[in-house]
Amino acid sequence: MSMASALRELLRSGPGFGGAGLMCLLILVALYVLLAFPLDFGESQWSNPVVWVDNPKAVPPTWTNALRREALPLHRVFEGTEPHTVQMARSGPVHSWRFPLTYASSHPPTFLAVTLADVKYAERPPLVLISLKRPDGKQLRIYRHAVRGPREDESGPFQRYAQTPLRVQLSTDEATVTAAQNFLADEFDLRLNGAQIGGRVDRILFGVPAGDSDEAFAPLTGDYEIIVQAALRAEGDSVGKVRFVVGGAVFGLMGTDSLGRDLARGLLFGLPVALFIGVIAAFMSTAIGTTLGIASGYLGGRADITIQRISDIVANVPVLPLLIFMLFIIGPSLWIIIFILVAFGWPGLTIQIRSMVLHMRTNQLIEAIQSLGASRRRVMFRHILPQITPYVLAQLIFAAPSAILAEAGLSFLGLGDPSIPTWGQILETGFRTGGIYVGYWWWIVPPGLCIVLTALTFMLLALGIEPIVNPRLRQPAS
Amino acid sequence: MSLLRPLLVRSLTMVGVFFVVLIMLVLTLGLTGFSDRILAATIGEQLRGERTALAETIRDPDEMEKVLEKRREELEIFYGLSTPWYYRLPRTALRVLTLDLGEARTLRSFDGSNRVFDIVTERVPNSMLLLTTSLIITAAIGIIGGAYLATRQGSWLDRFVSGFAAVSFAVPTWWIGILLILILSIQLRILPSGGMYSTPPPTQPLARFFDLVSHALLPVITLVLVSFGPSIYSIRTITLNIAQEDHVKIARAKGLPESRVRLRHILRVAAPPIVTGLMFGLAGSLSGSILVETVFNWQGMGRLYYDALAGTPDENVIVALTFIFTLMYVVIRIVLEALYVFLDPRVRYTD
Repeated sequence: MSMASALRELLRSGPGFGGAGLMCLLILVALYVLLAFPLDFGESQWSNPVVWVDNPKAVPPTWTNALRREALPLHRVFEGTEPHTVQMARSGPVHSWRFPLTYASSHPPTFLAVTLADVKYAERPPLVLISLKRPDGKQLRIYRHAVRGPREDESGPFQRYAQTPLRVQLSTDEATVTAAQNFLADEFDLRLNGAQIGGRVDRILFGVPAGDSDEAFAPLTGDYEIIVQAALRAEGDSVGKVRFVVGGAVFGLMGTDSLGRDLARGLLFGLPVALFIGVIAAFMSTAIGTTLGIASGYLGGRADITIQRISDIVANVPVLPLLIFMLFIIGPSLWIIIFILVAFGWPGLTIQIRSMVLHMRTNQLIEAIQSLGASRRRVMFRHILPQITPYVLAQLIFAAPSAILAEAGLSFLGLGDPSIPTWGQILETGFRTGGIYVGYWWWIVPPGLCIVLTALTFMLLALGIEPIVNPRLRQPAS
Repeated sequence: MSLLRPLLVRSLTMVGVFFVVLIMLVLTLGLTGFSDRILAATIGEQLRGERTALAETIRDPDEMEKVLEKRREELEIFYGLSTPWYYRLPRTALRVLTLDLGEARTLRSFDGSNRVFDIVTERVPNSMLLLTTSLIITAAIGIIGGAYLATRQGSWLDRFVSGFAAVSFAVPTWWIGILLILILSIQLRILPSGGMYSTPPPTQPLARFFDLVSHALLPVITLVLVSFGPSIYSIRTITLNIAQEDHVKIARAKGLPESRVRLRHILRVAAPPIVTGLMFGLAGSLSGSILVETVFNWQGMGRLYYDALAGTPDENVIVALTFIFTLMYVVIRIVLEALYVFLDPRVRYTD
C-alpha cells in the first residue's frame, strides 16, 4: 500500500482522523513554544521567583469570572517609561505618570505594589510620590520615597535601581498603613489603630467605611487614578521606569500557583517536553526491540535462546521501583528517566517481532534471496525490516503514552528534573503544598488534562494506524 | 514430570528477574560512589559523638586527633569502607537477602522501632489490602462484563467499552485519585481525603472496620476506575476468540444448554489467558499503588517510598523498599505462574 492511500485510510477512520488532527495541533503548539520560549525557560524563568513577584498568588483563571455571580477583580499592571506630563516647579522638573483605573469589582485588590527602576540623577536625589485619586473625589498620598543620596566615595552622575529595581509591597508597607490611617481620620473621622488596619490597606483604599461597625468597609467602585510623581532636582535627571500593580484575584488564561507563576506558561512549556520524552523513549525502545526481535527470529539457535531469556527477564522487572531507586541515587535527570524507560521498554516488541520473523523466514522470497548469496545482515535489514516497518510504526506510536505517563508519575513523586518544568512537576507542587486540599482546581486539573490529551492523541493515532498495518485486523473488513 | 518442567522454567525466569534487580541495585550503589558516601557519613557521625565523649578525658588536642584518626581507621575496617565496593556490596547484598535490612535514619515504625525490617513489613498488609481488593473487584467486573459483552459484539456498548479502555491507558491513575479527592472529599465532603483511619480512630472493632472501609473507598474506586475498562475489553476479546472456535460450535450443535457451553466450553478455555492478563494487571497496579497510596496518604509501602524520598531521604529504607517490592512481585508472580500451569493443560506439553 502506498503512503498516500495509507494516509487516506487513516483519515477515514474515526480515531485516526481525531488522532492525526490532535497531533497536528500539538505539534503546532509545540513549535510555537520552541520559538517563543527560551530553551532554558525552566531555570531562567520558571524557578526564578523574581519573574513572578508581581503576580497574584494562587488565583484562578480570569475566565472563571464569567461563571461567578460577583466578578473578582482583574489583575492590572501599569507601566510607564516616558513621563506623561512634565512640569517645572521651583525645585526642578516634576515628571508625572497618570494611570486611569476603572474599578468594577466588589472585592478589594489582593495587593498593591510599586516598582521603580533606572533612576539617574546628577547631584541631588529625586523624590517619588504616589497618590490615589478616588471616584468620590478624595485623594490621598499612599507612598513617598526619597531615592538614596550619594555615598561618600561616590561621584555623579548617580545611578540607582539599575541592576535590581526597587519593589515595594504597598499593602504591607508601614508608610502606606499610616497614610491610610490618616486618611480615615481626616476624611471619615474614623480612628483605627495600626493592628486594625494591618493587612486591610487595599480594602480601605478601595472602599468606604460601611457604618455598621468600625472595621467594615463597603467597596467603592468607579474611576480611580493612580498618580506617580517624581520630583527631580535638575534637568536631565530621570526615573527610567515606574510600574504599578493592582493585584487581581484572577489571572491570565490558567491562573497562578502559590508562587504566582503563570500556569499557562508552565503548561505550554510542558508540551514540547512531554512530546520529546514520548517520542525519544518510544523511538529508542522500538529500535532496540525491533533489532533484537529480527535477530532473534532470523538467526535462531543460541542467539535466539539468549535474546529470548534476556527479554523474558527484562520484561518482568518491576520498572517503577527501580526507576525511583536509580533517580534517587543518581539524581533527578530527564535523561536517566528516558534511559531506564528505554532499557526496560523493549522486550515486549522483541517477542512479537520474533514470532513475525519466524513466519517470514520460511517465506519463499526470503529463501530465494538467501540462495542468491545475500548476507545475513542484508536479509535482515533490507528484506525483513521493510516488511514489518508498518507494524513497527504502530508500535512506536503505542509506546509513546506510557513513557509520558511514567515521567509524569516520577515527577509527581518529586523525582522530576528540576531544570525542566513538566506537567507532572506542576501537579506535584500543587499536591505537596496542599493546593489540592484547599480546592485549587485550576492548578490540579489542567496539567492532568494535558497529560491525558497528549497520551490520548498517541493512542488514537495508533488505533487508527493499527488496522492499516496489521493485515490480520483488516481482513474482516474487506 | 511434565508439570514440573514449565513450572521450573517460569520460576527460574522470575528468580532471574530478582537477581537482575539485585545486581542493578548493587551496581548503582557502588558505581556512583553512593554507598561510600553513606558509610563515610555514618563514620563521621559516630566520630563526632565519640569526640565529645573523649573530650572529658583527653585534654591535649594533638593526642585527641591521633586517637580519633586511629578510631576512624578501626571504624572504616568495621564498616568495610577500607575495602572497595565490589567486595563489600555483594556481602551487603547477601545480608539483605537474609532480610537483615539495617536501620532507618529518621523514619520509624508505628510503634517506634527504627529497624527497616519492622518499618517495611508493617506496611505490607496495608498495601496488600488495597491491591487485592481492587484486583478482585476489577477481575470480577472484567469477567462478568467481558463475558456479557462477548455476546453483544459490535453493539454501541461494545464500542463504548473499547473506546473507554483505550482512554484508560492514557490516564494517569494517581491523577484520577486527585480528581476524586477534589470532587468527592473537598467539594462534596462525602468521603475522607486520605489516611486509613479517622483521628482519633474508633475503638470499637465494628466502627473501626467501617472507618477503614470509608477511607479505603476512594483509593479502591480510583484503582478500579482506571483498570476495569481494559480488563473488560481484554476478557471480551479472549472470550470472543474462543467462542468462534470449532469445539464451541460442536458443543452447541450437540444441543448443550447455553449456560453450560459458556461455562465449560468457553470460560474454562479462556481461563488461562485471563489469568495471564490479571498477572500483568497486578504488575501494573503494584507500581501504580506507589502513586495511589501517595495521593491518599494510605500507610502502605508506596506511601513509605514517598515519605522516604521527601525531606531528608532515608537511603536504607529506599534500598530495602526496592528490594522488598521486587521480592513481593517475584513471589506473587511465581504463585500465579504455578496457578497458570495447573490451569492450562496445554503448557505441559508445548513447553
